[in-house]
Amino acid sequence: MQVRPRYHVRTRPENGRGLRSAVLVLLLFFMAFGIFPSPAAAQQPVSITVSAAISLKDALDELGQNFEKAHPGTSIRFNYGGSGTLQHQIEQGAPVDVFFSAAEKQMDELASEALIDAGTRRDIAANSLVLIVPIDSQAVGNFQDLLKPSVKIVAVGEPASVPAGLYARQTLDHLRLLAPIKSKLVFAKDVRQVLTYVETGNADAGLVYTTDAKISSKVQVVAIAPASSHEPILYPAAVLRASKNMSVAREFLDYAAGREARAVFEKFGFTSPEK
Amino acid sequence: MTLEVTITKRLPDFTLDVSLATDNKPLAILGPSGAGKSMLFRCIAGLERPDAGRIVLNDRILFDSRQRIQLPARERRVGMLFQHYALFPHRTVAENILFGLSQRGREEQLKRLAAAIESTHIAGLEHRYPRELSGGEQQRAALARALAIEPEALLLDEPLSALDTHLRSQMEAQLQEVFAGYERPSLLVTHNIEEAYRLGKHLLVLVRGRVAAFGDKEEVFRRPPSLEVARITGCKNFSHARALSPNVVEAVDWGCQLQVAGAIPEALAYVGIRAHHIDFTEASSSAASENNVFPCWLVRSSETPFRITLFLSIHHPPNGLGDYQLQVEVFKEKWQRFRDRPLPWHVRLSPESLLPLAE
Amino acid sequence: MLPVAALTLIADPIDWSPLWISLATSVTATLVTLVLGVAAAAWRERRGGAGVAVVDGIFLLPLVLPPTVVGFFLLLLFGRQGPLGKVLLRLGTSLVFSWPATVIAAAVISFPLMYLTSLAAIEQVDRHYLQAARTLGASEWRVFREVTLPLAWPGVLAGAILSFARALGEFGATLMIAGNIPGRTATIPIAIYFAVEADDIQRAMVWCAVDVAISLMLLGSLYYWTHAQVPGRARWGRR
Repeated sequence: MQVRPRYHVRTRPENGRGLRSAVLVLLLFFMAFGIFPSPAAAQQPVSITVSAAISLKDALDELGQNFEKAHPGTSIRFNYGGSGTLQHQIEQGAPVDVFFSAAEKQMDELASEALIDAGTRRDIAANSLVLIVPIDSQAVGNFQDLLKPSVKIVAVGEPASVPAGLYARQTLDHLRLLAPIKSKLVFAKDVRQVLTYVETGNADAGLVYTTDAKISSKVQVVAIAPASSHEPILYPAAVLRASKNMSVAREFLDYAAGREARAVFEKFGFTSPEK
Repeated sequence: MTLEVTITKRLPDFTLDVSLATDNKPLAILGPSGAGKSMLFRCIAGLERPDAGRIVLNDRILFDSRQRIQLPARERRVGMLFQHYALFPHRTVAENILFGLSQRGREEQLKRLAAAIESTHIAGLEHRYPRELSGGEQQRAALARALAIEPEALLLDEPLSALDTHLRSQMEAQLQEVFAGYERPSLLVTHNIEEAYRLGKHLLVLVRGRVAAFGDKEEVFRRPPSLEVARITGCKNFSHARALSPNVVEAVDWGCQLQVAGAIPEALAYVGIRAHHIDFTEASSSAASENNVFPCWLVRSSETPFRITLFLSIHHPPNGLGDYQLQVEVFKEKWQRFRDRPLPWHVRLSPESLLPLAE
Repeated sequence: MLPVAALTLIADPIDWSPLWISLATSVTATLVTLVLGVAAAAWRERRGGAGVAVVDGIFLLPLVLPPTVVGFFLLLLFGRQGPLGKVLLRLGTSLVFSWPATVIAAAVISFPLMYLTSLAAIEQVDRHYLQAARTLGASEWRVFREVTLPLAWPGVLAGAILSFARALGEFGATLMIAGNIPGRTATIPIAIYFAVEADDIQRAMVWCAVDVAISLMLLGSLYYWTHAQVPGRARWGRR
């Protein structure tokens, strides 16, 4: 049997080398995260992070641009997604300054966890739910047509995490269609994915917000869900207590709730939150 | 029953260029490793394709580059015994033997199986797996498998070299038996001189893809045509040579003139003599250079169990361990008889034993 | 954690369909890749030559690309606007958002593993066995079936187990072309993802536990096949 010689021999110079490398790495780390104060710190632009339900994307992008122009030196980073996902991110400690949700549920939960500045909370827009089909489809004219055997796939948001999905389920339930078409439902992770499924024709129909249908040229709206078939679709927004830029955050939220913003929301198909 | 092969094939280091014809007496193909022997076999068996040429077995054309005939291996009916047997490890001996007989009816299969087992003396082993057999048994099983299909030609790749020495004579006897009963062309490939001589009737020497000698084995050994063939057939002593007269040559490296019996070729370049053909004689007072007798001194020796090789310097005492011109092989009994005699001894290079060689 | 999970199950009975769907998908996908992978490896092994590197590259692509990208390509291919999708549409069916789509996604993703392992297993079969078989009159197909495949089988089987494991864990491509349809296409990984999205951590934990259990069983059987096989008579004779 052969004995393998041991090659790894520690020598003094090697020890020192390891330590030096560690210090170098730490230095780079700190520099990257700006822990060393730099002379230019004072002139750095203020940046806030806004997490928002994806259905607000187009309207908020415009509002963000307007705000940055009016307030030079500020920049707004938007983080869009399903409201449930965004809520979890905040709960896990994501550094978010303002949160726009597509349903009261997610905001209520954050409020109960004392993560929001309750005084800043208000509804900034409202929406309605529509039934869409691919632009060239003839098969569906109304909600009842979903029962047809030729309609094989109906896309909605995942009800447990996507507000649009929750509203969709409420509507279908109200119209007594939920049980019969349950096996046709495909659940998406956010409302824009529902839109994509219908745009590409992979789903025969889908439920999205009016505002989503408006921005797409590849779908047609065939029906609107009656307001009584689901709970009101309101978009609450609030500043988070952990925000590091409270004043700018509050300013932006005030702006988003103001008259100029209202006009922008209406342009994209939202309605006023007051009933 | 004949096999005719005329093929060429380009290989990485040289070109294989062989032309041979054989009948139903075994042909031994002798050559150093890498000479192209295995490639030649694979071409005959159909496992490789030559670049050009013709292979005809018993009037069946197996390969003809001009007529674009290339019979696949499975249709050639050429049985092959591989160097490491290549018995299917996942099949029993009987299943191995039956593998080539799948087209036959059940009765015939069993008949041939029994015949193959009997002729190779492996009765009792047929339900074992190859790894449960000894080397000799495996080889006999592989032989049985090759013979069971009643091939039209038999190719044996280094049949004895993988065996232990004491098994070799057993296997050799077995093969002699097979050859005796087998009336078809059989070829064997080896790098071992003894194996070639024992098993073959005809001999072909293959060096770097070319046929260096071809004929009856006695003839090739007795009269090797070239230095290469002489070396391959075991000759150990060579000297550059010049013809001085029809039967005298000057051995340049040995510094002497030699009487040679038999014809001297036109292109004489060397003269050689086999180590065991050199005799020791008494010195005679008559002229020492008559009949090729020379004084010699012992430089060093090398022993095997029954023989001894003596390295000799002729004409003058050696200047060092490397200063020898001849190797002589004698049985130890004979060695005992003159080892204590005073040097110089005398050796005789008999004219009949000298080999005049071309390049 | 687990007792709470158990209580939750009693209160809100869990939908076990992801388990059956995952198993059915993975088994089917593995059988498909077994046949295709071995065939591809056998073909490639006989080929040699310069073009093989390109072929290898294509076959190994799903291993190197992110699964979501693979899913995207499949969607382009099978979606209503894709070349194959259009053909299927004319035949009256669509593969997207169907159970067969989960099989396709899993099969495509796990194919490179099967291919690589089979190729290695086939290549290590001693050439001489194949040559001997040919001289004994066997056709190429018979050589493959009776010599190459049985001798390569342990490696091929290991490849199949690896493929199965990979198919079981497939998420990105599956979500792309099969979507999340509970009871039809929602596999275990999809169930876990959406459970986390819905903040249903208990449910996610249950599925993770199931997945781990299955994976351990797979690894166990893989270990058994490659190590614990004693060379008894069952494995070609005693020494």
